[in-house]
Amino acid sequence: MLGLGDLNLTYLVSITFVSLYVSTLAVLFSAAIGLPTALAVGFRDFRGKSIVTSVISTGMGFPSVVVGLVVLLLLSRSGPFGEFELLFTPEAMILSQTVLALPVLVSVSLSAIQSVPQDLRDAAFATGATPADVGLLVIREARYGIVTALLAAYGRAISEVGSVLIVGGNIVFSDSTSFTRTLTTAITVEARKGNIETGIALGVILLALVLSVNALGARFRDRTPGGERQ
Amino acid sequence: MTDSNRVVGHESVGESASVETRLTARGLTHGFGDGAILEDISITVEPGEILAVVGPSGTGKTTLFRLLALFEQPDSGTVEVGGEDVWAMPDEQRLAVRRRIGMGFQTRSLFSTTVADNVAYGLRVRQSWRTRLRDAVEDAFGQTEPSPTVERALETVGMSDKIDRDARSLSAGEAQRVAIARALAPDPDVLLLDEPTSNLDPRNTAAIESAMREARDRGIAVALATHDMQQAQRVSDRTAVLLDSTCIESGPTDRVFETPSDDRVRRFIEGKLVY
Repeated sequence: MLGLGDLNLTYLVSITFVSLYVSTLAVLFSAAIGLPTALAVGFRDFRGKSIVTSVISTGMGFPSVVVGLVVLLLLSRSGPFGEFELLFTPEAMILSQTVLALPVLVSVSLSAIQSVPQDLRDAAFATGATPADVGLLVIREARYGIVTALLAAYGRAISEVGSVLIVGGNIVFSDSTSFTRTLTTAITVEARKGNIETGIALGVILLALVLSVNALGARFRDRTPGGERQ
Repeated sequence: MTDSNRVVGHESVGESASVETRLTARGLTHGFGDGAILEDISITVEPGEILAVVGPSGTGKTTLFRLLALFEQPDSGTVEVGGEDVWAMPDEQRLAVRRRIGMGFQTRSLFSTTVADNVAYGLRVRQSWRTRLRDAVEDAFGQTEPSPTVERALETVGMSDKIDRDARSLSAGEAQRVAIARALAPDPDVLLLDEPTSNLDPRNTAAIESAMREARDRGIAVALATHDMQQAQRVSDRTAVLLDSTCIESGPTDRVFETPSDDRVRRFIEGKLVY
């Protein structure tokens, strides 16, 4: 196999697992925070709404190394959250990836939520729905866009290098199992060592993972009638 | 099809309304910004009758119906159901009253799912979260049958053969009929229909008018907003005429159309009052 001769299976499996674990949790946390935020912003008219949406959109372009640096400062021993001793742990990586994925998720899902016609919200209300019911209906109506938002956020998280390198430390144990090394940070290590073929092979695995997640998402998205609003 | 179509312990459509409920608006005034859209409107919809609210486009019929459906509180005046001022009630009680009112809209308003799921929506939101969660889990593990309530509501509008169809594949007329079935399924005491047949062909219009009559015969108070004078004459028992943001005449339909007391009403009915 191309370039994989230098890699043992334990190492390969563990860096893949860390990549999936960190990115999946980051996207779940982003969804838990981002979907209610998108609903709140999408549903309500308030002063400064356009500024809020502009800030969210700008967040999609956050430089990941800057996010990594800020998280590093927050979690370092002298920082405000130093006592939790999270620096150079997968949890620190999850935090930085959540910060990076959140604006993507909010921005794309906000756009999907705002595209649900007011007429449908009115129809739900007139059929006896509570505000919570209407919110759920809007999520359901916007599910195509929301799944797209989740996939975009996942893509942002799993392909991330800069911040996870800074806050995770790229740590591998002596038995070749990864603690905070991901597929992306492993690729940078291989590139630095001149193992271009191995780096490319890891890149292919990463691409295959992203493709698989997208295929799963697309399948879920299109499973029910009315997946995509016409 | 979701399992939420199965609702236990809720009165089914087709049975007579449990409580005779009169919907009354008293002195409703409402506007946006500086201009009043409605001024001092008082109307009553009695159980077992169809009240037609007629008037040219832009005269405030939709705003009036939204106030009657409790979308928002009027600037002044009251909306009463069964003699009680709805906006003086606590939120929970107002929700219970709101759930006794069904509404059909002029615009296409079906959700992106099956016909059965659309019609079951009002039943589902009345269930406890626990029941809804259980139904959702059961639904994920297999196909479930639609409830008799959903089937009966669709029969009322002649759409029971389309029960499994994707709602987006329906024609405008079919979609409107399903929307009315959705409003009827929870067996409301009051049914508000805002221009439900505008731009529909005669066959769909006839089906909707038939559903209105059936609802009236079951004791439901039906209010119909329309600018179609012939339709108002065809289906309604009483007519209220909205002109210049207020109700200038109301009474039995035959009387209003044959001997209107207001000259503007006569000219409007004859098509001579141009807006």
